[in-house]
Amino acid sequence: MSTEGLKYTLDQVEAMELAPGAEHLKLEGWVPPIAGDDDLRMALEKAFDYRGDVTLTLKSGERIEAYIFNRVTGSTLADSFVQYFTPKAPDKRRASYAEIARLEFTGKDRAAGKNWEEWVRKYNERKAAGEKGIALTPEALD
Amino acid sequence: MAIPISQMWTVATYVLKNRLAGRKRYPLVLMLEPLFRCNLACAGCGKIQYPPHILKKALTPEQCFAAAEECGAPMVSIPGGEPLLHPQIVEIVNGLVARKKYIYLCTNALELKRRLPEFTPSKYLTFSVHLDGQREHHDMSVCREGGYEIAVEGIREAVKRGFRVTTNATFFDGADPGSIRGFFDEVMDMGVEGIVLSPGYSYEKAPDQNHFMGRARARRLFRAVLSNRKRTWKFNMSPLFLEFLMGDRTYECTPWGSPCFNIFGWQKPCYLLQDGYTETFQELLDTTKWEEYGVASGNPKCANCMVSCGYEPTAVMDGFGSLGGFLGMVRGSFKSYRAP
Repeated sequence: MSTEGLKYTLDQVEAMELAPGAEHLKLEGWVPPIAGDDDLRMALEKAFDYRGDVTLTLKSGERIEAYIFNRVTGSTLADSFVQYFTPKAPDKRRASYAEIARLEFTGKDRAAGKNWEEWVRKYNERKAAGEKGIALTPEALD
Repeated sequence: MAIPISQMWTVATYVLKNRLAGRKRYPLVLMLEPLFRCNLACAGCGKIQYPPHILKKALTPEQCFAAAEECGAPMVSIPGGEPLLHPQIVEIVNGLVARKKYIYLCTNALELKRRLPEFTPSKYLTFSVHLDGQREHHDMSVCREGGYEIAVEGIREAVKRGFRVTTNATFFDGADPGSIRGFFDEVMDMGVEGIVLSPGYSYEKAPDQNHFMGRARARRLFRAVLSNRKRTWKFNMSPLFLEFLMGDRTYECTPWGSPCFNIFGWQKPCYLLQDGYTETFQELLDTTKWEEYGVASGNPKCANCMVSCGYEPTAVMDGFGSLGGFLGMVRGSFKSYRAP
């Protein structure tokens, strides 16, 4: 369910039995079309919410692989910026919206592809096969 | 309530001083996330889904101390990720103890028993061990068979060595009240100081999106669990927060009460939501649009939230900041909450 623009009344909140789960957007591999300022703002908002690296192409031609962790939006592109980490540099960096020409969701979406039901199903299968010490493990870092 | 008097006194005087100073917003607990890396992959957690280069980053001890001093909260909770995977976690803890911060080091305890000799028992240091319920329930919750056994070994060893130990449990839809009550008996038998509990928050990035309780269901669960409570159960939480979970009190969220600092900066607006970051704590206070959060705002991201990091500061500030709240807290500490 998209929650964009949705607001709950207090009565609705108090009566809620289950929280509506978030819909997971499949953004990996997406290259958003950027025809104007609004397109760029929307694409960078999605990049901010994305749990994977993206590739920014600046108007200078420089390409940056980045994990965008913050965005600060102002009234113009020049006073709006993203903050990011790159895989190789230890420090935080920033780029003005006005510098960005293209955005690609190139990195793996780290929040995709796992769910509880899948874990329970696999657990039951492996348990039935006599396996011990069954676990979901975090992905390797290298 | 299981909290030592010295800690209660520190918190009470801190709240009163801030009230007398007329401060509208002040922090109670710094949520210090020194890293996001974890050695579990729990279905209900939305904290660790990052690219490897982000998971390899960690706050330095100096950054941790600067954050603690900058925000000034008397308590520091160290969640993560798994803090015991931080190569300098002992230095971080020792530095915070030296600053007389009451620390809750939140751990899944997979590494606890092995790492305990590196730590020194102190009234300022509590190991808050993630334990979501009885053996089978916990193992399924953390998606690791045998996780409960390892955590319990760590708890017992920490208690034996004289550390303060609490357990912290997160409950999701389908939790069985009878099993939770049995779990309370089990953990108190382990010798822990107290129990911490909370309903799960509906992290957008968590793998499981179908088991986050809404408020009505959460209240029924906590009423069933916390009514007719046993004298042997101790909670390391405000009794007023427990009354809120049971539906006996109405509170609004106090997101600035538990500000979160991590490798990205100060997190807007709270420990659970990520709507941006600031470089300083003051900037967090000044630039966050607080009116856009909490149930009264209608924000759907806050709709199911009854989580301790947002509502326990409200309960604590009520308990130490008003006569009615204080009397309620005293009464709640001795009441068994008989079911009607």
